[in-house]
Amino acid sequence: MANQSGDVYGLTILSPILQDLTAETSHNCAIRMKLAGLPNDESSPFAKVSSTHMARLVVMDDVVYVGMPSCEEHLKSQYLVFETNFDGDLDTYLTRMAREIPADVDAVWQHCWGYPGTKDMAAFIAYMKKCQITTTFYFADVNNHTVQQTLTALQTQAAVAEFIEKNQDKTAAELQAAFAHFLGKLREAPAPVPGRPEKGGPPRIETDMKWATRNAANTQQVTHNE
Amino acid sequence: MSNINHKTYAMNAITPMKWWKTWIVRAFFFILGTVKPLQKDLVQLSFIHFARWVIIKRNEFPHVCNQQPREKLKYDYLLFFSNFNGTWNQYIDAFSAVLSVGLNLIWRWSEKFPGSVPVTPFKQYIARCQFDTDYYYTAYPYATTNDVKAAHRVQDALDALEKESAGKTAEEFARSYRKFVLAVQSDLGQTGKAPVGT
Repeated sequence: MANQSGDVYGLTILSPILQDLTAETSHNCAIRMKLAGLPNDESSPFAKVSSTHMARLVVMDDVVYVGMPSCEEHLKSQYLVFETNFDGDLDTYLTRMAREIPADVDAVWQHCWGYPGTKDMAAFIAYMKKCQITTTFYFADVNNHTVQQTLTALQTQAAVAEFIEKNQDKTAAELQAAFAHFLGKLREAPAPVPGRPEKGGPPRIETDMKWATRNAANTQQVTHNE
Repeated sequence: MSNINHKTYAMNAITPMKWWKTWIVRAFFFILGTVKPLQKDLVQLSFIHFARWVIIKRNEFPHVCNQQPREKLKYDYLLFFSNFNGTWNQYIDAFSAVLSVGLNLIWRWSEKFPGSVPVTPFKQYIARCQFDTDYYYTAYPYATTNDVKAAHRVQDALDALEKESAGKTAEEFARSYRKFVLAVQSDLGQTGKAPVGT
């Protein structure tokens, strides 16, 4: 199925946006204002639905006219486009959205035609599936690891770089002991948080390298003074 | 507008196609999906986390209730969504340089597609068909797709070393450890803030 690549599911939803000429703020504007205020780091609603690798919400105003000799045409509704890449199956993901971030989902989708709300789970899932467009071709570069596995691997990568840098001059026995201690600490480390820029960020090796550069500069200075 | 979240860029584009041409694009994507070696260039570009092409037929725009006006369109539409690392210019340049044949096979059926080479009219076309992202989330904002792949290789190597080193003497462990360091040394690049784009 084109919606899936390996263990990753690619969901594309187009929800028609309400039109109300008497509204003080048009519904597409209201969606955009809500989205502009949503955090996109670890406080993001999608960080709570922790199987989400990447997600976007877009208001599509119209189709594109590419110029003569093609025909100019326009949509009768604007569409809220929801594109997301997640682990697992569609029903579980939609259920998690309705259970874990109902307020945010309702605040955005309440501006769409026919939206039933998250309280009625069956109606919510049926609505989302009605708005789903099947993906024609889906590419996922890494499609065999979950979000949590990827975050853990990034944390491991940073920790290993630091361990190697700090244990270059150890004897075999010291190295073995340090490695056992390192593995223990790594296993005990709290699970990384999705969406947080700091986690899996620059390992402390960067500081050490600056120190090494400074040290080299100091050495040159000493040589010069001598 | 938030097309960018740290190291990842969210791109959206839509192009019109005559209805009878969409079957040709579907056939091409079917072959691309079935014959995995044809995806080699896409994999080797290695700066796309996720990408998708979605064909919407002119009568398939979701219609969810009677009050919603029905669309009356002449064209089918090809939607393209990509999550890539780097800047827009780098992405389009690389696409044009490396995947020109594949891109032409996908988009030549869209109205007024100028071809992916030369790059200037190609960029003008993409810019015309692109629409901005209003909200963008990524679970690993500081990591590129190369970082992710490298991190998994390090994790696999570490797990293997842990398993292999159980019950070994210190000297035997040191030998395994050195092999491990040699194996992962090119995968220890830093993740972190994105460089300032051009």
